[in-house]
Amino acid sequence: MTTFDRTQHTQAPAMRWPRITFIRFSLLAMLALIVASWIFVLNADGAQNHSFLSAETFNRFKDFLADLLGVGASGTPAYAQWSEWRSTGHLAYDTLVMSVMAIGFAAIFALVFFMFGARNMMMGDIAPYGSWFWRGVFFFVRGIFVVTRAIPELIWAMLIIFVLSPGLLPGAVALGLHNAGILGKLSSEIVEGLDQRPIQALRSTGAGRFQVMVYGVLPQALPRFVTYLFYRWEVIIRTAIVVGFVSAGGLGTEFRLSMSYFHFTTITLLLVWYLILVLGVDITASYLRRLAR
Amino acid sequence: MALLRTREPETLYSAASCSVSLAAVSKQYGVKEAILPLNLSIDAGERVAFLGPSGGGKTTLLRLLSGQLETSTGTVCLCDRDLSTMPTGRQVSQLVGMIHQQFDLIPNLSALQNTLAGQLGEWSLIKSLVSLVWPMNRDIGLSALARVGVEGIAYQRAGSLSGGEQQRVAIARLLVQDPQVILADEPVSSLDPARAGEVLQLLVGIAEEAGKTLIASMHSVELAREHFSRLIGLRNGAVIFDLPSHEVTEDMLHDLYNLQGLRSET
Amino acid sequence: MTSTTSRDSAQKPRLLESRRVLTLILLTAFVWSLLNLDWTTGFIHSGGIDAMGEFAKALFTLDLSGDTLTSAISASWTTVAYAVAGLTLALLIGIPLGAIGSGVLTRSPWLRVTSGGGTRFSLAFFRSIHELVWAWLFVAAIGLSPMAAVLALAIPYGGILGRIYAELLQDVPDAPLRSLRSTGASEWRVFWYGRLPMALPDMLSYTFYRLECGIRSAAIMSFVGLGGLGHEIRISLDDLAYHQVWTYLLFLIGLVVIVDVWSTMVRRRLSE
Repeated sequence: MTTFDRTQHTQAPAMRWPRITFIRFSLLAMLALIVASWIFVLNADGAQNHSFLSAETFNRFKDFLADLLGVGASGTPAYAQWSEWRSTGHLAYDTLVMSVMAIGFAAIFALVFFMFGARNMMMGDIAPYGSWFWRGVFFFVRGIFVVTRAIPELIWAMLIIFVLSPGLLPGAVALGLHNAGILGKLSSEIVEGLDQRPIQALRSTGAGRFQVMVYGVLPQALPRFVTYLFYRWEVIIRTAIVVGFVSAGGLGTEFRLSMSYFHFTTITLLLVWYLILVLGVDITASYLRRLAR
Repeated sequence: MALLRTREPETLYSAASCSVSLAAVSKQYGVKEAILPLNLSIDAGERVAFLGPSGGGKTTLLRLLSGQLETSTGTVCLCDRDLSTMPTGRQVSQLVGMIHQQFDLIPNLSALQNTLAGQLGEWSLIKSLVSLVWPMNRDIGLSALARVGVEGIAYQRAGSLSGGEQQRVAIARLLVQDPQVILADEPVSSLDPARAGEVLQLLVGIAEEAGKTLIASMHSVELAREHFSRLIGLRNGAVIFDLPSHEVTEDMLHDLYNLQGLRSET
Repeated sequence: MTSTTSRDSAQKPRLLESRRVLTLILLTAFVWSLLNLDWTTGFIHSGGIDAMGEFAKALFTLDLSGDTLTSAISASWTTVAYAVAGLTLALLIGIPLGAIGSGVLTRSPWLRVTSGGGTRFSLAFFRSIHELVWAWLFVAAIGLSPMAAVLALAIPYGGILGRIYAELLQDVPDAPLRSLRSTGASEWRVFWYGRLPMALPDMLSYTFYRLECGIRSAAIMSFVGLGGLGHEIRISLDDLAYHQVWTYLLFLIGLVVIVDVWSTMVRRRLSE
């Protein structure tokens, strides 16, 4: 047993550089990025920028708000007219339909492919008969997920509108495609987190690879899949209005038109419909989620 | 309960011809020798228990017998067929079936669906898909569950069943799968003593009825002695003794489980 | 002796099991939505298939000229800057509001309900509106200024971050906090010394995930005219310069993938 002698410790240890860990490096990089971004934003073109925190900006906000509420404008504001409510109501309905279609497309796509995007299914853990073909499938499926979710819904819509005629479908497909990648990745991660043992036991009863997927993986993954499905639906209803900007369907198109014509009170009306939709979907989703236990 | 269903003639095995033999079988994981070269021969219809400390090779040996692991050297023969030459998992599953300590069942599916899964090897993909929603060939499943005494919970979620019930359902699945050799990896270690005895009795009874070979790794020496006719002691990957159960002495067991000289688990 | 669960006949499966009802509802809803389409007119644009083919072919004749590349790089930087600036503002909104909204800062139930409820409501409002709608509103209000993009990003993201932070702060295990309280620390101190440090890894992890989303959102921000990759893509699409569109698209995908990989690596190390 060594003794502790204070007199031996009077000399300070040599200075050592802190270890450059990945996290520290990342934080420093983030800090640099933050500073650079703000410098860029605050100095960008547009002299308007320098006086952002000024009375002028405040007044502009105030005037805009007044316009939205129809203060000082002639005629009754759109949101106070029942006929306006009715005529825009069917747009809200269309947007809702678009959202349901979109989440349906995304769910179907994800359900078909998600098991092929799970590392443990494809790379030999559960599947002792793994082969290069299946590895290729895995990377291909994962690649599809990455690409479809990297491209924002709006850009998908811009591309799709070339191929599909205007209406609800292009918007729904754009939303569906983007969310297919997101749902797919989330679902694959569910599979990767599953308990392997029941699945391996199933394999020993002689079930084939696909049967193991259908019988062993799918039932266990479905409850969480449904949770993710509802979560994405809530996001989709918020994005459906945006996709309408380009795809001639739902509230978004009308929103864009009203913006061009400066029909401010109509914008308010549309925003209120939008908030009603969002709230409705959130409530419905939370209720239905409970059914899935 | 004899064969629950008929099979095509070329795959029909009679239980009487199904012996198990291991010839110079060993298993290595890199440097570690999980199983040292051994020879073993088990006749059809025998009831054998592997005993020994954890990490001694019981589970590895069972997995070699089930075809889940490949041998490093030697061959495993079931029913006069070399296991490594069998092309599909399905053919292997007609020869040998395994039940584990726990987590054999899919928790979200009902007991009946889990039981019927024993037939998956014979069903087409379409049939399997339909069966998820509406179970096909229910009768086999229900009678298997009745044989193990739990037909009342046939439609309950497997995850909500007690440990004893779950093991019974796993045995029912084995009945439906109908392999020639039954392997059991510590089948009752997670159950309390009373249940353990019941379930083990059920397992042994079923194997006897059908004349099938039963090979189990056992944690409890008393239960092993009570229900199995032949005991094999495994320690550090080697067979320490291989005797009829009444010939195994306390000294042998003491040597088997002695902590000194025991290889540490990896 | 059979087990105690044997009954004479097995229970029949309940037809109205809640999960079957749910499946039925979901399927009906989806089919109903499809029925709302106008099935009489064609879905595919005339000439749409050709356009699609041309677009696909353009991938192989990628525009890698100096001009396009420079504008792609500068647009990428704009996008990243907007995303980062927006996210930092979102943090300034989300952290305090999330902390207050979670109700963990005070022990008084009255304060918890009022201040907590009030902030949770504002957070919900912020995140109800899509960032592009906020962007449009801000541009209409204060014109085409980068701050419009930054604010439009910060508000909904602040709402989302605030809500998640509130949940993370609430879900912190109670035992270590109890021992802190027993030393006489006020709820405020407990927050700084106990809750926040314990919730921080998860909070950081989620924030990095949001950064990836932020890049995508910033890209489409340019749709309202504020510069960035989305803007370039739109211009090229209007000019039918498909090979250019691909260049910008690939930059966008690359950007997202880089941030995704980086954020995954950071999150993995945080959870170790």
